[in-house]
Amino acid sequence: MAFLTRTDSLNVELPAAETRSRLDAILNLSNDGILIVSFEGTILGWNRAAEEIYGYTAEEIVGKPLATLVPADRLHELSSIYRGVARGGVIHHFETVRIRRDEVPIDVSLSIMPIRDMRNRVTSALVITRDITSTQLALREAVESSEKLSDRERMLKRALVALRESHEKGKETQLQLVQAAKLESIGRLAAGVAHEVKNPLAVILFAVDYLAEAIPSPDENMTAALTDAREAVARADSVIRGLLDFSTATDLSPAEEDVNALLRRSLHLVGHSLTRSHVFAVEEMEEGLPYSMLDRNKLEQVFVNLMINAIDAMPDGGTLVVRTRRDRLTQVGTDVGVRMTDPFQVGQSVIVVEIEDTGTGIDETARPRLFDPFFTTKPPGKGTGLGLAVCKTIVALHGGTIRLGNKQGGGGARATVVLHGIRSKEGNGDGEAADIAR
Amino acid sequence: MEKLRILLVDDEPSFTRMLKLNLEKRGFTVMVENNGAYAYTVAQDFLPDFIFLDVIMPDVDGGEVAARMRRDPQFKDTPIVFLTAGVSKETTRVKGNIIGGQQYLAKPVTVDEVVATIEKQLKKKTSKATPASPRG
Repeated sequence: MAFLTRTDSLNVELPAAETRSRLDAILNLSNDGILIVSFEGTILGWNRAAEEIYGYTAEEIVGKPLATLVPADRLHELSSIYRGVARGGVIHHFETVRIRRDEVPIDVSLSIMPIRDMRNRVTSALVITRDITSTQLALREAVESSEKLSDRERMLKRALVALRESHEKGKETQLQLVQAAKLESIGRLAAGVAHEVKNPLAVILFAVDYLAEAIPSPDENMTAALTDAREAVARADSVIRGLLDFSTATDLSPAEEDVNALLRRSLHLVGHSLTRSHVFAVEEMEEGLPYSMLDRNKLEQVFVNLMINAIDAMPDGGTLVVRTRRDRLTQVGTDVGVRMTDPFQVGQSVIVVEIEDTGTGIDETARPRLFDPFFTTKPPGKGTGLGLAVCKTIVALHGGTIRLGNKQGGGGARATVVLHGIRSKEGNGDGEAADIAR
Repeated sequence: MEKLRILLVDDEPSFTRMLKLNLEKRGFTVMVENNGAYAYTVAQDFLPDFIFLDVIMPDVDGGEVAARMRRDPQFKDTPIVFLTAGVSKETTRVKGNIIGGQQYLAKPVTVDEVVATIEKQLKKKTSKATPASPRG
C-alpha cells in the first residue's frame, strides 16, 4: 500500500521514484500513525498504522479536515499547536484525545514537526500519532490500584488503632472481671462466715452479760476480763460487717442525687464523733452543682468513712473541711483522657469533693497500700482495714475516682472524690450522662 | 403481776439457751423452740406476749413463721422481732419490711439491747391497744 499524499497540495519537490518507494515502505512499516497535515487543516497523507489507529482508510480520510479526528472540546488545541509548527517548532509527545471512526475516543501521544520545501519554507506538518489508550488505561488502573491500596492502608491503620483500643479495653474489662470475681468470692465467703461467726459471737456476748450479772461481787480482774471479752466480740463483729459491706458494695441503686445534700447528711451522721473528738466542721460547698447518678446509701457510706478517718486522724481536736466544686476537665492528665476506657474524658464537667483534716497527715510509705483490704494505719483494735477498700470499690462502680494524699505544705491529709455530673432538673449541669455501668 | 412471756425461735440451741438464761434473770418467762416448723404450734400453746424469730433457719424460715402467725387473729398484734446473723443490717431491714416484721436485731446483740427492744415494742402496742397490755 502506498503512502497516499495529495502531492498537488504539498507543493514540494518529490524525490525520485525509488526514493519515494523506500519512503513509502518506511512509513507504512511504522507502528505509529503518520499523517501529513496542511496548515489549512487538511489531511494530506495517511499511513497504514494511522488506518489501524483511527479506523479510516487513506482513501476515506485524505483531503478531509483534521478536525474530523478531533473531539469538539479539543478543537482549540489545533490553532496553538500548528501556529508553533508553522514557525518551525517541533512538538514532542503531546498527549491528547482523538476520535476514531466509530466515535470512540482514544488517548494519543502526538509528535509534530514541520515539513519544508527546497527553499526551506515550512509547507505542512508531519504528525506522528501513537495510540496510548492501553497505556493510559494501565496508568489509570495503576493510579486506581494505588488509591485502593492507600485506602486499604488507611483501613488497616484504622483497624489497627481499633484493635489496639479494643485490646486496651479488653485488658481493662479483664481486670474488672477479675476484680468482680474476687468480690463475688469474698461476698460468698463473707455471707457464709457471717452466719457461722455471728451466732457464736452472740452466744459469747450473752454469756458475758450473764456472767457479769451472775457473779455477785466481781473483782477488778474479773470486770476487766468481761470488758475485754465484750470488746473482742464487738471487734470481730465489725470485721464481719466490713466484709459484708465490701462484698455487697457492688449492688447499686443509683438515682439523681445532690452531692452537697449527701455530704450534709453524712456530716450529721458523724456529728457525735465530731463533738467527742473536739473537731470543728467547716462546709465550703459550691451551690448549684450538677446532680450526679449515685446510690445514696453507698456514697453516704463513703463520705462517712472518709470523715471518720479524718476525725480519727485528729485525736486532740482540729478542723474537718468538707469542700465541693464543679470542675471542667480541659486537658489530659491522671484519670483524664480521650479514650472511652479513661475514667473521665477531656471536656467533661465533674464534681470534686474534698475532705480535709488538720491531723498529722499520711505516712508516704503507707500511701501505696491505703486502699488494700485489711491494711490499716489505725491503732490495733481501731480499724478493720476494709473502710477505704469499700470506698474505692463504691466510687469506682460509680465511674468516679478517689485519691488520698497530704495537703500541699503539710498540716493534714486530703481525700479527693471525683464524680460524674449530669444535667440537673434545673438544668445547671452540662448534659453528660453518668456511666454507672462501667 | 404475771411475767411477760417471750417465745424464742432460733435453730441455734446455744444461742437460745444463753438468751433464755439472761431473759429469765431479767424477770421474763421464756419458751424456746429450735425448729421453725413447730414454732406456730408452740405459740398456740404458750401464747407469748412477744416473739423473737431467727430469719435463716432450715426447713421453715423466720419469714414463713411470721406470716403463719399473722394469719391467726390471736397473734395478729403480737410483736415479732427478727434476729439474724446472716446478712448485713441494711439487707435485714429491707427483708424485715417485706415480711412484715416490726423490727430486727443483728447478732451479736447485748442483753440490754434485747430488753430495750422488748420494752419499746410492748409500749408501742400498749399505746395502740389501750387501756392495757394483755398480760403485763
